[in-house]
Amino acid sequence: MSEPAKRKSLFQRHENLRVLSIFIGFVIIIVLLQLITEGTNRFPTFISPVNLLNILQQVGVPGIVAIGMTIVMISGGIDLSVGMLASLVSIVTATGISKWHIGVVPSILAGIMTAVVLETIMGYIISRTKVEPFIITLGGMITFQGMALLLCNSREVIMNRELDFLKVNLIQGARDPFNHLSLIIPPYVLIFFLIALLGGLLLNYTKYGRRVYAVGTSPQAAYLAGINVQNMKLSVYIIMGFLVGIGAVMLLARVNTGIITLGQGLEIDSIAMVVIGGTALKGGKGNIVGTLIGVFFLGSIGNAMNMLRLPSEVQFVAKGLVVIIAVSAGDVSTRISGFLSRRKELRWRAEQRAAKGESVESTK
Amino acid sequence: MGVKIRQGPGGASASSACYRAADREGERTTANRERFNFMSEILRLSNISKTFPGVVALQNISFDLNEGEVHCLCGENGAGKSTLIKILSGAYQPDEGAEILFEGKPVVLNPHLAMSLGIQTIYQEHVVFETLSVMENIFAGAEIVKRGFLQKAEMRRQTLGVLKYLKSGLSPDAKMGDLNSSGQKIVEIAKGLIFKRRAIILDEPTASLSSVEIENLLDIIETVKNSGLGIIYISHHLEEVFKIGDRVTVLRDGRKVSQHEIAGLTKTTLIKDMVGRDPSTFYRREKVPIGEVVFEAREVNGNGARDISFTLRRGEILGIAGMAGSGRSELMNVLFGSARLDFGEILINGKVVKHSNPEKAIRNKMCFITEDRQNTGLFLPQTIAQNVTIANLVNTREFVVHSRDDAETGDKFVKQLAIKTPNSQTRAVELSGGNQQKVVLAKWFNTNGEIFIFDEPTLGIDVGSKQEIYKVMVDLLKQGKAIIMVSSDMPEVISMSDRVIVMKNGEKMAELTTEEISEENILTYSIGHKEI
Repeated sequence: MSEPAKRKSLFQRHENLRVLSIFIGFVIIIVLLQLITEGTNRFPTFISPVNLLNILQQVGVPGIVAIGMTIVMISGGIDLSVGMLASLVSIVTATGISKWHIGVVPSILAGIMTAVVLETIMGYIISRTKVEPFIITLGGMITFQGMALLLCNSREVIMNRELDFLKVNLIQGARDPFNHLSLIIPPYVLIFFLIALLGGLLLNYTKYGRRVYAVGTSPQAAYLAGINVQNMKLSVYIIMGFLVGIGAVMLLARVNTGIITLGQGLEIDSIAMVVIGGTALKGGKGNIVGTLIGVFFLGSIGNAMNMLRLPSEVQFVAKGLVVIIAVSAGDVSTRISGFLSRRKELRWRAEQRAAKGESVESTK
Repeated sequence: MGVKIRQGPGGASASSACYRAADREGERTTANRERFNFMSEILRLSNISKTFPGVVALQNISFDLNEGEVHCLCGENGAGKSTLIKILSGAYQPDEGAEILFEGKPVVLNPHLAMSLGIQTIYQEHVVFETLSVMENIFAGAEIVKRGFLQKAEMRRQTLGVLKYLKSGLSPDAKMGDLNSSGQKIVEIAKGLIFKRRAIILDEPTASLSSVEIENLLDIIETVKNSGLGIIYISHHLEEVFKIGDRVTVLRDGRKVSQHEIAGLTKTTLIKDMVGRDPSTFYRREKVPIGEVVFEAREVNGNGARDISFTLRRGEILGIAGMAGSGRSELMNVLFGSARLDFGEILINGKVVKHSNPEKAIRNKMCFITEDRQNTGLFLPQTIAQNVTIANLVNTREFVVHSRDDAETGDKFVKQLAIKTPNSQTRAVELSGGNQQKVVLAKWFNTNGEIFIFDEPTLGIDVGSKQEIYKVMVDLLKQGKAIIMVSSDMPEVISMSDRVIVMKNGEKMAELTTEEISEENILTYSIGHKEI
């Protein structure tokens, strides 16, 4: 007589299913709303290929940053500076190209290196002191903003389309079968997927990934298991710096202008994407697939609001609500399944007791 | 209780301290007049039992406390002293049939009532407001208020008065967080005097104090006692018990063994009372042939440990005994590299090694099963497979790891150690204490370690799992490995160890051979008789 194996709910076994199902529910609602308001004779624009690719273009850069943020947050950290760091990188790169004339590739490298070096400094402080990463990176955010403004004299740096090679359409000539608009996939969308893939492999299939999770779960236990906790914490910020650098260059390619507002809100968006995807703020929990769902979910909200012709202000309300619902849904569902499994176990115990009682009586 | 006088419209907690004290003074004189026959008795407990699921912590204890006396409580770790204190402070309710008389009247204690009757407990770990001043700490929650305004001058006057009475140089404005443990204890005692407490319970008050501070504190306790309070004093240090105690009650395994007047009592009698366990609580372990020296500590200093030297041989268990706070776990951290070695040498297989971090210790085939399983031993939200494989990453060269291999390793240990779970994909948090401990063991077995440090190997584990863990330890010895075992569980130390080192205040007091290992010897050395 063995105890019944504790059956876990589907959502518990596959953590990403929960947020995925909320996402799918959201898509269905938007599509239904479109069908109702625009009639059934037209294919719903929200899920038309051209719009889906459009969403991909919009989320590409925040997505790259969100991959880095996932790694940082799994290790128990957070990075509020990514937005302003991206602005700084874009201004460094744009200035390099159009003012210092040091060439396109060296400028891009200078931008990325700036991000890596600054994140390394923050990571060093975070890993060697006991100060909360929240505060260090908040300080970093303000500092980077100042550095960026100093560098561009509070003006925008306009380029001469030198980075356009990063947004060429890779599928030139392809057309949407429903509305015959041309489809666009720029290189940075592919880079985003490549980075997501690498990030996923790193976290799941390497010694490094195991250690990131261990450090985020319990730094003391990780230390006693022979992990250099300080260097692990430092390394996640270096990775973050590299990804912010790449993301910022992509962003610059899209708008062709280095400007302080470029990275504004990037930290909020990327953190929101990561937490929607199920990564815990206290570390140790989360994965790249969840983050990808979070990226697409958050990215499609604004787009859906546009499709429904709702004012853009509503977007913020919707985004905020999605974050709250996606994150609290986990707790609510755990509570419900916990309650159900407890009840089941109690019933099983009672049955066992009853059965035992009977057998005792029968032997008498 | 006395009539509460409210001052000012908004003063909910404004029943001012001095008035309350005055009330109680009045009440006490009337009470004393009523029962002048046994006027000096503050507390009388009889028939106190306390059972927790599966454990009888206290059995039919009786205890009493008089005015102006220090009544000491003695006993080994786990004898039931803490449980008794928690009943007195109202934190635990005793089982049915218990009777508690406070000044002759039956009471049912809860934390609030205990406080308002005037029973104050000063725990080993301080619960203080570190950022507030001494004065603010004393009056926290019972500030003297007049028309809604704090009467700081009055509060300072009272604080100064009491500190002067206690001959303490503390300033009322010093920040509590800046004081050391001894200063904080004095503040809490001062609080007891200001609010005219009737009884003060001190749990191991001298645990982390220097000898000068201890002298000072004992003098203060003497003063307080002479002012008419009753004091319950718990200490592992027999010198203190003999210095300030009037009576002593000895507990063992939740039972009251004896009660003595200190006058005329000898230390030997007291120790005899504290030992003498039921032999059935001992585990019979298989002995293994002992091999060559594998680990050696030479005058190791650091993290509180002082000049510790010992050797460890293959196939043997070296027990480390001592009272709580004797610096045993601290020493283990130094040996494992998770605390700094100030000076001294550690040798493994005859070669001097430097453990500047645990990673190096693991490479040198050391394993450390920590005392705090949940926080430093396990990654609770992670699966058994992940927990088991994490430490061995130190020894793996490959950058890429495969979940399937991890699962195989995990499943192998689940089977080998009989961890009660379907497979290694269960998360550690869902396991019972005994099974969690097995996961910790598996984590270290997977590193192919040779030298095992077990810090409280069976803390909080049920009897069945205990036996299994003992068996696993003996199996390790059979494979030629060596074990250092820190334990506060006396039967465990005695039945498992081949040799025992007894520690006190970070120092090695004695090293006992197999023949010398006895409860009496261990206890004698751990409460302070240095081997000559």
